[in-house]
Amino acid sequence: MTAQSVRFSDERLANGLRLIVSEDHLAPVAAVCIWYNVGSKHEVEGKTGFAHLFEHVMFQGSGHVAKAEHMALVQAAGGTMNGTTWLDRTNYFETVPSHQLELALWLEADRMATLLDALNQENLDNQRSVVKNEKRSSYDNRPYGDWFHKLQEHVFPAEHPYHHPTIGSMEDLDAASLEDVAAFFRTYYAPNNAVLAVAGDVDPAQVRKWVELYFGDIPANRAIPALGDMSLPAVLGAEVREVVEDRVPLPRHFFAFRAPILGDPRFDALEVAAQILAGGKGSRLYRRLVRDEKIAQDVSFFSLGLIGGASIAAGQATVRPGIDPAVVERAFEEELERLGREPVTDDELVRARALIETFELEALQRTDERADRLAMYATLLDDPDMINRQLGRYLAVTAADIQAVAAEVLRPDNRVVLTYMPATETAAGATDEETAA
Amino acid sequence: MTLDEILSARPSPGQPRKYEFPRFERTVLKSGLQVITVDVPNRPLVSANLLIRRGAADEPADLAGATILTARAMSEGTRRYPGVELIEAGERLGATLHVDASWDAFTVAVEVAASRLGAALELLAELVENPTFPEPDVARLREERLNDLLQVKADPRRRVDQAFTATIYTPDSPYGRSAGGDEESVPRLTPEVLRATHRTVLDPRRAAIVVGGDLAGLNVPRLVEETLGSFGGESAAHKVAPAVPVAASAVDRPIVRFYHRPGSVQTELRIGHVGLSRSAPDFHAVQVMSAILGGLFNSRLQMNLREEKGYTYGIGAGFDMRRGAGPFSVRTAVQTAATVPSITESLLELRRIRETAVTAAELAAARDYLVGVFPLRFETPGAVVGALGGLFVHELPDDELTRYRAEVEAVTIDAVQQAARDHIHMDRLAIVAVGDADAVTAELKAAAFGELEFITDELPVSE
Repeated sequence: MTAQSVRFSDERLANGLRLIVSEDHLAPVAAVCIWYNVGSKHEVEGKTGFAHLFEHVMFQGSGHVAKAEHMALVQAAGGTMNGTTWLDRTNYFETVPSHQLELALWLEADRMATLLDALNQENLDNQRSVVKNEKRSSYDNRPYGDWFHKLQEHVFPAEHPYHHPTIGSMEDLDAASLEDVAAFFRTYYAPNNAVLAVAGDVDPAQVRKWVELYFGDIPANRAIPALGDMSLPAVLGAEVREVVEDRVPLPRHFFAFRAPILGDPRFDALEVAAQILAGGKGSRLYRRLVRDEKIAQDVSFFSLGLIGGASIAAGQATVRPGIDPAVVERAFEEELERLGREPVTDDELVRARALIETFELEALQRTDERADRLAMYATLLDDPDMINRQLGRYLAVTAADIQAVAAEVLRPDNRVVLTYMPATETAAGATDEETAA
Repeated sequence: MTLDEILSARPSPGQPRKYEFPRFERTVLKSGLQVITVDVPNRPLVSANLLIRRGAADEPADLAGATILTARAMSEGTRRYPGVELIEAGERLGATLHVDASWDAFTVAVEVAASRLGAALELLAELVENPTFPEPDVARLREERLNDLLQVKADPRRRVDQAFTATIYTPDSPYGRSAGGDEESVPRLTPEVLRATHRTVLDPRRAAIVVGGDLAGLNVPRLVEETLGSFGGESAAHKVAPAVPVAASAVDRPIVRFYHRPGSVQTELRIGHVGLSRSAPDFHAVQVMSAILGGLFNSRLQMNLREEKGYTYGIGAGFDMRRGAGPFSVRTAVQTAATVPSITESLLELRRIRETAVTAAELAAARDYLVGVFPLRFETPGAVVGALGGLFVHELPDDELTRYRAEVEAVTIDAVQQAARDHIHMDRLAIVAVGDADAVTAELKAAAFGELEFITDELPVSE
């Protein structure tokens, strides 16, 4: 089984837009993916949730595109599209039949060039309401719904840009104004703050012509403010514990650790460790807590790669009825600590590597995933060729690497333990924040 | 040219590249097992799905959940590979074996490098033919299901889905049950029951294995013959094909069932009724109609409730077409204060698509999307294999997928309206909600959508 390498070109327009083009003709599909180097880490106090609200505004029309027309044009072309916002970045993407590529490029250029021409209070208010409902349905109205926000709060100190949730707070969403939108756009949505990746059934020379035509005259912003120093001590220094009462039938523990940043080889080792710990029925945590001791209903362990100071490694275990939550916590932590004490077996490593290889090959089969990864590696690591090296890095991880990163990261003085407990009758509902807009 | 002039000119599409749904071949083995192969060149992974046309809808009501639990328990150990050894053997090949059951079918799936297909099929065959159903593991899986039922009650989204289907179907209709079983049936699911279910499911005359990927140099029918050639054994001749599941409506007038969840910041809403089976003759017109109503990003429901009113993060509607008549539903979650207006607007859109013709622009938007996105849906071998599996499960003609785009293009404005009139029934809509009843009771009563019933779940507790 050999991974076909992804060939691509990597250049910059005069205005600073980074263009990556990867040609292949496996399917009559073209993918456009644009990553802006702006995320919720760029938000300041009192304006949390703004990067994401802004992402919604990007679909409300621009100089030559009416409200909701972006979706209409892409879907009528037989394409799919969306946008996402995360701590480090915001991205937008369209996947289209390859003969519709020019439309996707034009749509992205039009909103990068002329978004403010279409901006109005009515559309901002409408999307504010949509986003508040997104917050309600994704977090506030869900059992255990705010777990990640709580882990963020504990892993990153109050003054750190990763401390607050990307979805923001209801108060801050209410406070967002048209002036905020305009200022945010002028500051961050400039060609020299973006990476445009185009992949699939495309002619690279034609792509360059179109990109030069539609994006070439969009002015750069030479005064994008730099983020402050985001570096952090490698470990928390002391265990942090929180117990939350929620309307849940079963207690659940969430665990989090401050971890090395994306691109650090130790982060790769941590990903392999996560596979050995909780990747399916053959994994250590599943086998011990779910299968053998029957104390947990489910387990997971994973890492979320970030670039500003530290990433998060996290896990969870749902406690079975009648089991003391402390017993589940101890078993989970023992498995993490064992990983730092003794090397994993050869067989565990062989299995983890084989599965990771399949997952990587599976993901890279899709044109949209290739475009997304090229843009991601260029934006976050300034290294789009990582698309071809990432698998090799995983396969090179040794038992000693895993033991070392586990000893460094998965230790008690670097641990957050967040426990959801079933609420007593009177406390039910007390944690809800909002009733209606 | 100025930038504004450049951007003022909308690009027009180029010449579409020719696309055909990949050609497939079928071989029938002596046992009756069909081998369907589809070559998708230059792909490093091969997908193989074994499908058997027997699912959760075909089990007796008192043993609800038996088919899904059988699927789960099959990877808990086999004769040659006790415990998790089979899982581990698969992992060494870089393969995860997935065993699952839906309402309609039983599925065993694997994705693996082409060079290891033979070894993966050997494991798949062992898993299919020789599971041992150890009592301690079956007991654990039963408990996990019962615990999961506690979680369903606490999660408004899962709770409303379960309440909706339980509301619209009569008690003798399988689709009204929980596919995984409930508090009454799950304790009955002993290893003996699972073994019997397993014997019933294993019928090669109702089975196909679909294999897709770069198959150059592979003789797939022979690999299958060598590994799965005798699956099902001698008992096959005695097996009876299951009937199409009963799918009868329990609702004969508009009703509202509101599950009270104090303090909910949103109301989870499902509005609908018993819908259609996959064999509906006007399938393509229904697809186009559903896209306009609640399938496209800019569907009527989305434009009204999201882009205009801001009541929700998202709203959709559609038909879940199964071997029998699956549910039709409008699905959304809305801020509590917008509960009644959201129901009003949803009903308005349902009435509107029945009573007035869609515009030519709406028809074109839906048609062009469904036709245009078709090649994107089938980019990978896994997706192609999945679609061919669907043809087998629903016993559709071989040219179903090659005809799809022409059929969608032929749908007219009249056909869309006819589909809406025939298949959306205002006189038996069930409105099922999970939310804060105290906040909306007065308004709901005044709106008089239909017979109104409030239900308060006891708070689920863990013991």
